[in-house]
Amino acid sequence: MRQAGMYSGILSGKTGPHSLPLSRIKKIMKQSGEEVKMISCEAPLVFAKACELFIEELTARAYKMTVQGKRRTLQKEDIAAAVSATDVFDFLVEMVSASVGDVAGEAAEASGGAFGELTDKD
Amino acid sequence: MAAEATASPGGVSHDSGEHSPRSNVREQDRFLSIANISRIMKKALPSNGKIAKDAKETVQECVSEFISFITSEASDKCQREKRKTINGDDLLWSMATLGFEEYIEPLKLYLQKYREGDNKISTKGEDGSGKREAMGLQAANQPGSSTQGEVQMLQQGSFAQGMGYVQSQMKIHIHLI
Repeated sequence: MRQAGMYSGILSGKTGPHSLPLSRIKKIMKQSGEEVKMISCEAPLVFAKACELFIEELTARAYKMTVQGKRRTLQKEDIAAAVSATDVFDFLVEMVSASVGDVAGEAAEASGGAFGELTDKD
Repeated sequence: MAAEATASPGGVSHDSGEHSPRSNVREQDRFLSIANISRIMKKALPSNGKIAKDAKETVQECVSEFISFITSEASDKCQREKRKTINGDDLLWSMATLGFEEYIEPLKLYLQKYREGDNKISTKGEDGSGKREAMGLQAANQPGSSTQGEVQMLQQGSFAQGMGYVQSQMKIHIHLI
């Protein structure tokens, strides 16, 4: 409550009535490593905005994939495609490929079958 | 020997009194809320665009990964420079280093806005560092001025050592401090 009062005036200026919760951001920051112990009060604030920019960029890039597929609903696979097409998102590759792991598994099976057929022909 | 053995469990030197590593982190502490994620995602879509639930969940995971990615880099930098507190400039530096240069400018504007607002509110800062803008550079020169002084010193140190190539981008920023 106290914090919301403190920041809301500034945040509402550009980002709308709700910004991302600073205490949650701080918790996530502390989970990134044991050596992360002290965080200035500005740091979560930087992330509140940075995460917005990040989400917007990731979503916009993913939606391009949706449109290319002539669809209107953005799906998990679109995010995976956007991640693999964008260099700065390289750090997410494992994460998105893990979350579409079952699909990848099916694809591997399918390609294995195709490969089998090819070798049969040869 | 026996005394040593009994003493060791209590005396385990996890001197991180405030934060021991949590293996069992609650789900709601690891991620930002779906509602928040969804609200921001919608801003990037045309009005007829829809978002599947699994896409929201994926972005939710990606955001936490983004925070960790940037924070780890900033944390490494702080360790190299023997500083204990990760500040906003460390994060900006990390983002610039890791390819998110285009975020720097909007973030600087955002911080500038915050600081202008913060000066009016002055003493309410979470870690006491909200005060430092008001106290200005003099704080660093006062010997016994405790935390604010220390934070200020660290801040100065970070500019002196690390900012290098980001410096041109940081001009406004430095003026503010």
